[in-house]
Amino acid sequence: MDKSRLNIGIIEPSHIVFEGLSNILVQTDFHCIIKRLYDLAELENPMMKVAFDIVILNPAVIQNKLKEFRRVKKNKPSIHWLGLIYSFYDQEVLSLLDDVITVLDTQERILQIVSKVSLVSAATSLTKNSEGLTERETDVLKQLIKGFSNKEIADHLNISVHTVMSHRKNITQKTGIKSQSGLTIYAITQKIVTLNNLPPHE
Amino acid sequence: MYPSGRFFVKPTMLLSDVILDNHLVLLMLEHFEIDFCVSSKTIGLVCAENKIETGLFISICNLYNGFSPSPQAHYSLKDFSVIIRFLKKSHTFYKSDKYPEIRGLISQLLNKNNSNEIKLIEKFFDEYFAEVTEHLDYEELVAFPYFCSLTETGEHSLYNGTEKFSVKEYHDHHSDIESKLADLKNLLLKHVTLSNELPLRRKLLFSLFELEFDLRIHSMIEDFILIPLAEKIEKKGLHG
Repeated sequence: MDKSRLNIGIIEPSHIVFEGLSNILVQTDFHCIIKRLYDLAELENPMMKVAFDIVILNPAVIQNKLKEFRRVKKNKPSIHWLGLIYSFYDQEVLSLLDDVITVLDTQERILQIVSKVSLVSAATSLTKNSEGLTERETDVLKQLIKGFSNKEIADHLNISVHTVMSHRKNITQKTGIKSQSGLTIYAITQKIVTLNNLPPHE
Repeated sequence: MYPSGRFFVKPTMLLSDVILDNHLVLLMLEHFEIDFCVSSKTIGLVCAENKIETGLFISICNLYNGFSPSPQAHYSLKDFSVIIRFLKKSHTFYKSDKYPEIRGLISQLLNKNNSNEIKLIEKFFDEYFAEVTEHLDYEELVAFPYFCSLTETGEHSLYNGTEKFSVKEYHDHHSDIESKLADLKNLLLKHVTLSNELPLRRKLLFSLFELEFDLRIHSMIEDFILIPLAEKIEKKGLHG
């Protein structure tokens, strides 16, 4: 199994429970990086540079903030949400979560639940980071580094502006590079273009 | 980027303990013009000696430790000039220290390995540095004078020549500066293949990481401390 890295956030007021759960999680096959969070707002804090794959939370922290939780959930679609249960909760609260762990679950059961959601995220992260651009993305990249606008690229390649934007987003996600000049260097190092067929510098 | 597991800094802690835990705090001391030899003084004492409000110092120090300032934190007019002085000092650090250092490392790399890729990196960096300088000049010539006049007179319709200070423009610049720096790191780590020269490339990457760290805190001080304080004065006047 691919030992991909999992960023796990835990929002749990009890220190004992937090420590116990962390201890179990670090024993999984995954490379788990665990961070304790104190509230939902921390996920939206601009200082938070971690992209969490899984957030395990005590539903008590969201039950009076369902509106806020729905918003965070919508803004962070890549996070898998697990509830950590040791008392009764309204079904409405639990239905917002992807799965639940209870405090009496065995170690095996907990690992099973985490593996289940993390397999999904491992699969998505694999496609996300897959090396190399598709043929169409390469076409868009070539146009981009010539300095064409989204509209011009759409016209040249006979696709919609929306599609161009989605290709651009994928290019940046795959290469980690946003600026036009940075993408030019990328294209040269990958031999997508050569120095000679670059447009003359303005 | 932010080291995890750092502690939340409090006035009764020894400054030396804070530095020993996170050496990047030294950058902050330099911007505050506080000497590195801090004996066994508490943060409260160091602040008193340097005439810095403890609350402000704690907020900035905690930024270096990875905690954003509490929205309830209260800053006063006296803090304003200290913040501006701090930000100006960090400009000096970027312009006369960090950028020349990075530029020098790229040149050395080019000397050892005269490849097209490094030439492109050099060009990318020069263009990037020109943009950064332009933004820092904008802050010094437009933004800081605007903030200063605000605290001195409560006046907030200051025009400097033809340019008027705009918070939005301020934000756009920042995100540009951060994203190009990220591009450079990604190019060096993922795409530009160079053989050997590991020590030189490590120095270059360390430098880029350190610069990125400090720049990020720089813009957080502006976003979370300076601008809210300025907005409060704009709304309520100097004595509100």
